[in-house]
Amino acid sequence: MAQSTQQTDADGSGLDRSKSMTREWIAGATFSLPYILIAGTFLFGPLVLALYMSLHDWNALAPAQSQFIGFENYQILLSDPDFWNALWNTLYFVFLTVPPIIIGSLLLALGVNRDVKGKWLLRTIFFSPYVLTVAVVGLLWTELFNASGLIPYHIGGGNWLTSPELAMPGIAIATIWWQLAFNFIILLAARQNVPDRLYEAAKLDGASTGQMMRHITIPQMRNPLVFVVIVTFVNSFQVFGQPFIMTNGGPTFSTTTIVLYLYETAFTGREFGYAAAVGYVLFMILIAISATNYYFLAGDDQ
Amino acid sequence: MSTESSVLGNVSLSSDRLRTIALYVGLYGTAGLFLVPYWYMFATSFMTRELVYSEVPHLIPWDLTLHWYDYLLTSSLVVQWTGNTIILAGITTLVVLLVDAMIAYSLTRLDWPGRRVIFGVIVASFMVPGIINLVPVYIIVSELGLVNSIWGVVLPSAANPLGVFMLVQFFKDLPEELEEAARLDGFSRLRIFTHIVLPLMRSALAALGLFIFIWTWNSFVWPLLILQSETMYTLPIGLVTLQENMGVTEPGVIMTSAVIASVPLLILFLVMQKQLVRAVEMQGTTK
Repeated sequence: MAQSTQQTDADGSGLDRSKSMTREWIAGATFSLPYILIAGTFLFGPLVLALYMSLHDWNALAPAQSQFIGFENYQILLSDPDFWNALWNTLYFVFLTVPPIIIGSLLLALGVNRDVKGKWLLRTIFFSPYVLTVAVVGLLWTELFNASGLIPYHIGGGNWLTSPELAMPGIAIATIWWQLAFNFIILLAARQNVPDRLYEAAKLDGASTGQMMRHITIPQMRNPLVFVVIVTFVNSFQVFGQPFIMTNGGPTFSTTTIVLYLYETAFTGREFGYAAAVGYVLFMILIAISATNYYFLAGDDQ
Repeated sequence: MSTESSVLGNVSLSSDRLRTIALYVGLYGTAGLFLVPYWYMFATSFMTRELVYSEVPHLIPWDLTLHWYDYLLTSSLVVQWTGNTIILAGITTLVVLLVDAMIAYSLTRLDWPGRRVIFGVIVASFMVPGIINLVPVYIIVSELGLVNSIWGVVLPSAANPLGVFMLVQFFKDLPEELEEAARLDGFSRLRIFTHIVLPLMRSALAALGLFIFIWTWNSFVWPLLILQSETMYTLPIGLVTLQENMGVTEPGVIMTSAVIASVPLLILFLVMQKQLVRAVEMQGTTK
């Protein structure tokens, strides 16, 4: 389009303008190119490839010989007891971690926001696990839960991580300690953004602490809260490192989560097509969960 | 603790007072619990073998030793893994900053068709969990011959949607006058970008860079899949194999290696907490 105006336009300034417009288009595309190429290769391309693979009996050694089998992988998956076991384990883990992480981080954020002495120290302590790698978190808590470790010694239960009943709660405790930090910082910032005058006005009207919490704090912090709820759900559904390091899915598969199952079918069992199907099912679950959260928590605002 | 008991000793406590005490006990009690794992990690790394293996778990290293540090530094690859981790995190950070800054600049400052759509797609891709792509990205990386190469870890995370989002927000708040002036002076786009835009973005890039650095340092799944020879490992991967290779878990070795892997980041965290808080807070404002 730019070229045609260039040729027909007799007026010099118009020529200049369209020339500089073309130049701007080229510059814009060039500056975006690295990102688009990389995201295309490692994000959007793979999303399509995963769908394609999930519809095939994928041959890891000779991909060209993979057979198209339609939705068979998905059908197998629905009647695969190991998949359902992994799904239930993941739901159990979500149930054990999401409420404590959200409620805990909210309480700590509201508490630290008060005029307490040593605010900086408290914030530093609660935020610090955020910079740890899952490897350190996993190994550290493995030691703490060890038969002769600190927790069995003071609380009991023997080695938590080799007990079918206590292994998942153990992983959950380590995760809560580790993951609270992110939400804490976001909610603390959100609380600090609530204007003080709202509380002053409410106090003049004789509102109680509980009323102010219900009618000012929570509504004012709604968007960050919705964000935190969705992110925490999504993260917990994707748990991998903790069970991989702490229990390797055991004992007797009681801590095999969906992503751990996906990882093993793909890289131990070499069933790439099937693993891709597991990935897509997880993707659908995450979309459904996020949409549900958004609908219920932020719905009537729009 | 002692101040609390003396306060409790006073006769009449108003409900305000009680509430304050409960607040302090709750906050500092939780903080204390939060610190126990750290304490255990550091204390164990300095304990002698006898203390580590005693029947009763010890929290105080009565008998100090540097035996575990000595062992790890001389007879494991921990030093090399630290180097690998620094290189990997450093390169990834630089690449992400460059790639994200470029597209953020073009999306906000240059007028070209399709930029709105592209920004929308990037924001949406923010919600795609990376783990979904575990299998296909691995296939692509191995097709490109990048398995066991540092680029096999760097490239898949080089386009970071969160970074684009943060930098686009930043550009929106940044006045355009300087760039306009440079444009009128006949600066090329590239020159404006490198000489004016990048320096102006220093603080935003520092916050984002710190975040990416820590995130890459700690990343687990990709290095685990891609880096397959022991000399290529990053600290998180090395740590885990260290435990597996020894058969019997050696708490002294494990806790000491955990200290080595986390101390650099904890120091970085203490020094640059403000920037990191800022990077995290910016994520909270995405929706």
